[in-house]
Amino acid sequence: MNGHNIMTTAIENNIRLLEARKAQVQTKGSEPFNIACEKQSVAGSVSQRACVFCGSRVVLYPICDALHVIHGPIGCASYTWDIRGSVSSGPQLHRMSFSTDLQEKDVIYGGEKKLEKALLELIAHYNPKAAFVYATCIVGLIGDDMDAVCRRVSARTGIDVIPVQSEGFAGSKKDGYSAACHALDQLVGTGDTSDIKPLSINILGDFNIGGETWVIKDYYEKMGLQVVSTITGDGRVDDIRKAHGASLNVVQCSGSMKGLARMMKEKYGTPFMHVSYFGIEDMSRALYEVADHFGDKDLLKRAQDMVRDEVMRIMPELRKIRQDLEGKKAAIYTGGAFKAFSLVRSLRTLGVQTTIAGSQTGNPTDYKQLAELCDDGTIILDDTNPLELAKFIQETDTDLLIGGVKERPIAYKLGVAFCDHNHERKDCLAGFEGMLNFAREVHGSLCSPVWKFSPFRQKHKEAVGSSQTTEKPKATYIPTNVIKPGETSGGGGESKFATLTIGATEVAK
Amino acid sequence: MRKVAIYGKGGIGKSTTTQNTVAALAEMGKKVMVVGCDPKADSTRLLLGGLAQKSVLDTIRDEGEDIELDDIRRDGFGSCKCVESGGPEPGVGCAGRGIITSINMLEQLGAYDESEELDYAFYDVLGDVVCGGFAMPIRQGKAQEIYIVCSGEMMAMYAANNICKGIMKFAESGGVRLGGLICNSRNVDNESEMIQEFAKRLGTQMIHFVPRDNDVQRAEIRKMTVIDWNPEAPQADEYRTLDRNIDNNELFVIPKPLEIEELESLLLEYGLLEAA
Repeated sequence: MNGHNIMTTAIENNIRLLEARKAQVQTKGSEPFNIACEKQSVAGSVSQRACVFCGSRVVLYPICDALHVIHGPIGCASYTWDIRGSVSSGPQLHRMSFSTDLQEKDVIYGGEKKLEKALLELIAHYNPKAAFVYATCIVGLIGDDMDAVCRRVSARTGIDVIPVQSEGFAGSKKDGYSAACHALDQLVGTGDTSDIKPLSINILGDFNIGGETWVIKDYYEKMGLQVVSTITGDGRVDDIRKAHGASLNVVQCSGSMKGLARMMKEKYGTPFMHVSYFGIEDMSRALYEVADHFGDKDLLKRAQDMVRDEVMRIMPELRKIRQDLEGKKAAIYTGGAFKAFSLVRSLRTLGVQTTIAGSQTGNPTDYKQLAELCDDGTIILDDTNPLELAKFIQETDTDLLIGGVKERPIAYKLGVAFCDHNHERKDCLAGFEGMLNFAREVHGSLCSPVWKFSPFRQKHKEAVGSSQTTEKPKATYIPTNVIKPGETSGGGGESKFATLTIGATEVAK
Repeated sequence: MRKVAIYGKGGIGKSTTTQNTVAALAEMGKKVMVVGCDPKADSTRLLLGGLAQKSVLDTIRDEGEDIELDDIRRDGFGSCKCVESGGPEPGVGCAGRGIITSINMLEQLGAYDESEELDYAFYDVLGDVVCGGFAMPIRQGKAQEIYIVCSGEMMAMYAANNICKGIMKFAESGGVRLGGLICNSRNVDNESEMIQEFAKRLGTQMIHFVPRDNDVQRAEIRKMTVIDWNPEAPQADEYRTLDRNIDNNELFVIPKPLEIEELESLLLEYGLLEAA
């Protein structure tokens, strides 16, 4: 399907782009590609971006043997409590949310004493390996000297107490990543590296959502590499301390950990490379590129064997799934742009076309690459919002939205399928195994018979008329963990839905 | 009740002028309340004979929100009511928020209610209006008239001009007006003429010229206002005159702040040029 076809099935809607947003929205192929990005969000646009504090919180959160204390009013802690689906193979301390619960009196008289007391009490009780103290907006306003408090508590308790300069208003979510990297930089370089082999790496920018870090770490270890630290998925303070002993930083996620990789390159000369673990193509490329970096034949051989075995293992099921998904259209909205690249490729593997692709934090290079990867007619969005997503999903007659918890209601309100690919999810979507999970999840949602009841779908049917529609083949892939289509027959109204482009059309017949 | 806020450059003599003014009003038989809006909490000590009063914020901190008006308000000279808002020690917390909290508390406790039968409420505010909190006394429903204490010194006039910019903003939204400049003399050449001209250009008046007199310091060292210490002193009459002028004042304006160039040329014209 080409870009022209995308627009032929468009539904008219009266959602208009804000004037100030227009430069951040482009259709590939319609004009020379030059999207505006890396801007502060437009007021009133209801950006899906989070604040600086939230940015640093999501990055450091998975370090599971550290204490995470939020110095601010209670809301900052409550809204970021257990914020990711990051799992730990050991301590669970990271899943607790501690707050100094600053109130009016603390704002007036300063919150330093309260913070100090809280830290001493918590450290005595939980005996953590280190503590991270996050600054919030109000701390930035009243100017509490967090550095001094952290130094004092560190001296008294003998553990690293690290201030994270993450005042919410002082920039965007991306600045929070940077604050987190500066905090990590204080730990790196403080551990003993004598037991680290030359063939060694750090896994940066994977957060062990649904155990993804374990999957990736397992691949690298099978290749023959020593994984010194995983930052921050299933992270441990003592591993991070010796991260500078690894020979290579393998960085996933375009935004969050690039800063730390750069600092480590400057300080310790550790080279780094960018990878992605989503989809067969990107996962394989990551393993090959890491093997290439070391120039070790055995590493490469083992990587090749592993990729071959894994691909052969998952392909039969992927092929079946693809039969049902062929010709479907998807919208992608991610935090970093790197994940969007991988998703475009993964969807292609499944026969699904990307009609809309966007990110919260992409830079000009990212968007150029994204546009090159996408078909003509794909709408590229920077820092978009619910209304724009709704507008373009309707106009392009998109079947599936891939995003995070903030995008989920948009999909469900419109009545299109949804796949959670953000950090709140609990399922592993990385690696070869993850690709299979992804395909199953996309299939499960896309082929659900429920969408045919959505007003949007009915409106669409009226808009296109019956002459333009084609019968879709019967859904052939039936995973065992979902209700079989035959069991969900809705009774009346069959003919009305017969022309709808959903995989499980046959259900209603 | 007239609600009056006194602003001016730090160290210009706001607190001293305010307390002497309040003492004179009390002597006239007016019912007056003074609210100190400076974290240093030194706006009422001359009226209280040196008593360091427990501030509103310290009381809230120690005893919680459940407090009585009498916990935070003391009777001073001539039965005037004295309140100190207080605030954090220098370098910590947010003094501006403190003033907001404290004035809200006073309103909640009914300090401004009709039943209090006040003729005047005075706010003595920290020198520079550095943030929203220090502008609290001139927001909607608070002080309606402002007097700026200044002298013929350049920095005092700069500060007065700046405060006028603030008043302009709040005048549009809240109805506060400038009542005049109080010249607290520093014995600068042509001081009275210059301040009168400055006031005229701002669109206001010099409400009174308070000459420099060591009796003010003599009283202060005894923790008293001049009127309290020596009602016969000529300086006591100056404050009485100031009070009469305030009491009879009918000129309330939205000031027109000067451009810096204009302000500097004014200084040159009346000050430095003459001196040279």
